[in-house]
Amino acid sequence: MNSRNLRRIAILTAAASTTAIVLAGCAGGGGGSSSGDSNEPITLTVTTFGSMGLDDLYKQYEKDHPNITIKATNIDTGGNAQTDWQTKQAAGSGLPDVQAVEEGWLSKVMQVSDSFVDLRDYGADDTKDQWVDWKVKQATDKDGRIIGYGTDIGPEGLCYNSKLFAAAGLPTDRDEVAAYFGGDNATWDKFFEIGKAYKDKTGKAWYDQSGFVWNSMVNQLPEGYYTSDGKLNVEDNADLKARWDLLAQGAADGLSSNQTQWDWGKGKAFTDGSFATFVCPGWMLGGVLKSNVEAAGGSAETGWDFADVFPGGPANWGGSFLTVPTTSKHPKEAAALAAFLSDKDSQVAAFQKAGTFPSVTAAQTDPGVTGQNDLTKFFNDAPIGEILGKRAVGVVAQYKGPDDATIQEQVFGPSIQQLDSGKADGETAWNNAMSLLDQLVVNK
Amino acid sequence: MTSTLEQPPGQTQAAGRRPAPTRTALTFRQRVNRWDVRYSPYFYVAPFFVLFGLVGLFPLVYTFVVSLNNWNLLTGPGEWVGLKNYGTELTDPLFWNSVFNTFSIFLLSAIPQLIAAIVIAAVLDQNLRAKTFWRISVILPYIVTPVAVTLIFSNMFGEKYGLINSLLENFHLPPVMWKTDTLPSHIAIATMVNWRWTGYNALILLAAMQAVPKDIHESAAIDGAGAVRRFFSITVPSIRPTIIFVIITATIGGLQIFTEPKLFNAASAIPGGPQRQYQTTVLYLWDLAFNRESFGKASAVAWILFLIIVAIGLVNFLLSRSIASAEAKAGKRRTRRRLAAIAAPSPATGSAIAGVNEEDFR
Repeated sequence: MNSRNLRRIAILTAAASTTAIVLAGCAGGGGGSSSGDSNEPITLTVTTFGSMGLDDLYKQYEKDHPNITIKATNIDTGGNAQTDWQTKQAAGSGLPDVQAVEEGWLSKVMQVSDSFVDLRDYGADDTKDQWVDWKVKQATDKDGRIIGYGTDIGPEGLCYNSKLFAAAGLPTDRDEVAAYFGGDNATWDKFFEIGKAYKDKTGKAWYDQSGFVWNSMVNQLPEGYYTSDGKLNVEDNADLKARWDLLAQGAADGLSSNQTQWDWGKGKAFTDGSFATFVCPGWMLGGVLKSNVEAAGGSAETGWDFADVFPGGPANWGGSFLTVPTTSKHPKEAAALAAFLSDKDSQVAAFQKAGTFPSVTAAQTDPGVTGQNDLTKFFNDAPIGEILGKRAVGVVAQYKGPDDATIQEQVFGPSIQQLDSGKADGETAWNNAMSLLDQLVVNK
Repeated sequence: MTSTLEQPPGQTQAAGRRPAPTRTALTFRQRVNRWDVRYSPYFYVAPFFVLFGLVGLFPLVYTFVVSLNNWNLLTGPGEWVGLKNYGTELTDPLFWNSVFNTFSIFLLSAIPQLIAAIVIAAVLDQNLRAKTFWRISVILPYIVTPVAVTLIFSNMFGEKYGLINSLLENFHLPPVMWKTDTLPSHIAIATMVNWRWTGYNALILLAAMQAVPKDIHESAAIDGAGAVRRFFSITVPSIRPTIIFVIITATIGGLQIFTEPKLFNAASAIPGGPQRQYQTTVLYLWDLAFNRESFGKASAVAWILFLIIVAIGLVNFLLSRSIASAEAKAGKRRTRRRLAAIAAPSPATGSAIAGVNEEDFR
């Protein structure tokens, strides 16, 4: 081959590759039609995270609707799913037909709630009574649009280690424990008081670290970091400050074991008696406590149990929603799929698969949820489904502002760590948080 | 590439020399040929520039545009604020905290890393048994993904249950708060960076060392220079350009360090530690964009970081150029001396060369 031919080939290659690049850049935009024909074969994309236990339900739905193919993507954690959603939302393309949203970043979703389909257009009004009322409220934006169907919820109960309780002379039977903490009138004061006595007697910490406790304390207030009409409500929030002082005193008394959140020495802290209580939303039981204990070589013998009580009253932490972004080419079919995946039978199936506690009240009392399973065995045969159902009653849907996650993690996070590591007292840590609030939220 | 670019002027010159009267209209073929010679080089280089424009230049410019706006990640562009984001960031203590962390981790990693890499390269340069085995062993850490490295190291540096603190405990030493205190956390992160990159740099330096002429070593040895002396007076000066290259790449990499601090305490809600003890600038930028949703400010930080790296790159460039020119001068001087030494009846040529070496490399 002579050099001229080579040159020609090179030109062609260059031209071809340039075209290919340009074409590739455009490929994302085309395709798809919103036809009214319900039998036209369509593909619905679903993005979920963690273990939501929906895989078998996809298969069932495809079987019942032969024209629909479901392409599901599951992202490992809720945090990564948030990054994924945020990036696609910001880019304006790439969102699936059904997007799972976690309660922790729902406030971000609510900032752009108009880019999600109002599910009332597809019958949400008719079915909304099946969920616990606060779940629907959480998914309702300020214009009254319902943008998400609730899947699981995270009502909080108290996990305690009965062996450590026994050693400290505390009651061990879960009903007695619930009563000992005050039953329906359990308060944080009482919780810290018992903790102080425990610490004095055993020299050991009472809870793993202050972050989760603070999280629960804030979440169960009628108004948290924001007032119900959306104003920032931190600096002069007496409820918040009172709870902060309790937490600071607890840390100063050595009630916190100062563990690393979500790490706990790869579970060892749950088995070596470092602490005796743990705040437990439903998903924490299997997904965190049981798996961490087992990772560290423990078992049901380690002594963890679950009581129907929570200091300060009912609280919820976490849970998810299924939403339909307006970018979906098939909003009607997507909404129908989301409705199916969050109905009573699906929630029971998901609970049995992944332990996600149902937000549909009829599912909460289903024998499939209240019955015995591996999880109940691990927790000394505690009727977990039943307890969680009771713990879900009376939760308030607190208004979450756009910067709620930032305040929780970046404003109070550092101060809580200071409390736990003994680097600052309650007052200093609170002031540090307030200056961070000014910097990160007020003057952002 | 150079030869293709230089070709057209040569051709036109030739055409110009052709006597004017005999000039006739070019045939189609000739015209195509001329067009081909003149313009096709641009097509050859086009793919790079098109790609660079798409994935390099455009994002750069777009980032700048974003940085001039009050841009929320989710709700999109807000009002135009000009350079205000730059002003805010340059006065933000959290930004300077991240710059401090970046440089601290960079220095803690780059300096020991380079010293270790040179020493390892020097050892590998010796006549070892199973040479290839040792060389491959040195590069092994590099092929492990940084994520895996970080997860393992993060476990080792655990405060309560980590391997290192358990060892310290066995010797009745107080535990080090690797993830709480600033300096220990920087050391821990620098250790991960060093573990991964030392071998890589050692191999690059080894390649340079092998290009050092053996005869210089031999004559120095004959003159009685020991191994250490030869290393510092011959090896190190000869591989200076490579050392500078390694420093530049280490700087660029060091200023963009992300994975290690991000995953060092993966569960921390604030990337880079609860008190931002080891939040590097890239992490700070990421946090601004994706946790705090200030896309505009994050873009401003990206540009500031870009300018910092360009500035450091320039300093590196000037340094290396002055060193290179100093070397060229020294080279000329050496040749002159040698010539003089050969011309004049010298008492001992060998010692003259040794003297030159000493002088040049001091």
